[in-house]
Amino acid sequence: MQQAEQLSPSRSRIAASELPRRLFQGERAGYLFLLPAAVFLLITVGYPLFDTIRMAFQEVTLGTLSRGERPFAGLTNFENVLADPAFPIALRNSLVFTVASVFFQFIIGLTLAIILNEAFPLRHVFRGLLLSGWRIPPIVSGTIFLWLFNYDFGFINFFLEKIGLIDEPVRWLLNQDYALLTVILTNIWLGIPFNVILLASGLTGLPEDIYEAATVDGANHWQKLTHLTLPLMKPTILATLMLGFIYTLRVFDVIWVMTGGGPVNATEVLPTLAYRESFNRFNFGEGAAISVIMLGILFIVALFYVRTTSEENM
Amino acid sequence: MSVEQIVLRAPGTARLRRRFSKSMLFAVALLATTVYIFPLFWMISTSVKEPADIVRDPPLIFPRSINLDIYAELFGNPPEGAQIPIDGLRYMKNSLIIGAGTMLLTMAFAVPAAYGLARFRLRGSGPFMMLLLITQMLPEVLLVIPMFVFFRELQLTNKYISVIIADAALTLPFCILILRTGFLQVPRDLEEAALIDGTTRLGALRRVIVPMIRPNLVAVTLLAFLVGWGDFVFSLSFLQNQELHPLALGVYNFIGYYRIRWEGVMAFSTIIAIPVIVVILALQRYFVTGLTTGAVR
Repeated sequence: MQQAEQLSPSRSRIAASELPRRLFQGERAGYLFLLPAAVFLLITVGYPLFDTIRMAFQEVTLGTLSRGERPFAGLTNFENVLADPAFPIALRNSLVFTVASVFFQFIIGLTLAIILNEAFPLRHVFRGLLLSGWRIPPIVSGTIFLWLFNYDFGFINFFLEKIGLIDEPVRWLLNQDYALLTVILTNIWLGIPFNVILLASGLTGLPEDIYEAATVDGANHWQKLTHLTLPLMKPTILATLMLGFIYTLRVFDVIWVMTGGGPVNATEVLPTLAYRESFNRFNFGEGAAISVIMLGILFIVALFYVRTTSEENM
Repeated sequence: MSVEQIVLRAPGTARLRRRFSKSMLFAVALLATTVYIFPLFWMISTSVKEPADIVRDPPLIFPRSINLDIYAELFGNPPEGAQIPIDGLRYMKNSLIIGAGTMLLTMAFAVPAAYGLARFRLRGSGPFMMLLLITQMLPEVLLVIPMFVFFRELQLTNKYISVIIADAALTLPFCILILRTGFLQVPRDLEEAALIDGTTRLGALRRVIVPMIRPNLVAVTLLAFLVGWGDFVFSLSFLQNQELHPLALGVYNFIGYYRIRWEGVMAFSTIIAIPVIVVILALQRYFVTGLTTGAVR
């Protein structure tokens, strides 16, 4: 959602340069407008972020907190996390969950965005409805899918039996082999509005005259898609994929409500593991260590994105 | 796409081909939309079915009649001897308080910040916007751990304010960015004219600019409210006292019971989701513009 801001940094600069001189007289006053929000975010986001990194190297449990001390622990938290057999499973699940979700959300989102970009009756109604689930709390979406995937009375088992894809009901969430697939399917549904919004607005921004020229040259729909749309959309596509990755790697509520990370560790991901470590085992130091590992992954993705986009610009 | 291609290559008048591809697009969009909104439909449908119809095989797609008993039970008076008496109104009150608090706190910080970013040429406003973007990307779980420790030290856990502050922090960046776009759209001449007329900057903000960006303001205000209204992770972590639990946590607690009553769970879900769906459908233009500033125009 933010790449657009970055794509047009000139907007604010142009806007500001148009300001009449006399408005600049009270320029310093501008900082006063920013100050409250900046201080608030510094306390509520900046400090916790710093504290996460600090806690990762300290012994922080309910016990130490009650005594009001947080002894330095070196790399103990990281060593314990890496020694936990659940950690490699959570790491693997996180990557599978994120890559699979993002891939299918993106493919579906792009297809829908391309369809919605064409002129046909009621397309604005469809567009509106396809975005209706955006911002529904993930806990609610997870609950709805928990019911849809229910073993005994779930609609999905009934439907798949009806069309002959399965012979008997599937234990979607109770079977270790299917649980991860089930939460991935749910999460794909969750991410569709976000992908449609970003990709559809990227499509609206494409210059029309190039398409007219291509039509004159006899290009068909497929050629226009592969030779014009996709290359022109590359910045939007990269941004959508990167943001999708970042927003999916952190998914917690959907999995927490659907499986709680189980059965056994089948759907354990880094956020659920970090949460469990902190709020079920009250080992905040180890929870923070897992958070720092997540931050590391996010940082690598962001770095990769920045490098790809800056090569683009050169 | 491939079917359409074959059709387009086939002989026939251009008009026929166009009409065919239009109906194809319509059909695909209709199918995709139906599949997409089915879960939401199913949520509402389940909540208004007769309990016996919920566990029917094959399931009823449409309820035979609209049965609102479960809403009356959960959000009115639980009948005598109810298996699990649930005070839905208490959950709703808690959600309203957290929503309203998040809304007030967020707007108090967002409006001036967005105005400052849009109207002044400040050194550091670029990095500030960058930080807002990054803030939005931070995992909730990452923030909830240090926030818990922080609020525990301040003895703010088990108070609404801890959840409100956390939700406001998470919502604020997005709200600032949407509002900034709104402020940028107000013609500068107007503000300048107001300033020449001797109005102060704050006066101009209040009398000239705010009325012009009212739709953006309404969109952002409602969004901030809804973030608090649907809060789950922060309430789960900060509020041990069940009396303070909001609706989303109610759903979660509900599922934990030995015998799940799906009509009840879906009624709770519907109550949470309906305001969100309505606001998104009515005001999506503003959210979409905020999401994709620049790319749209």
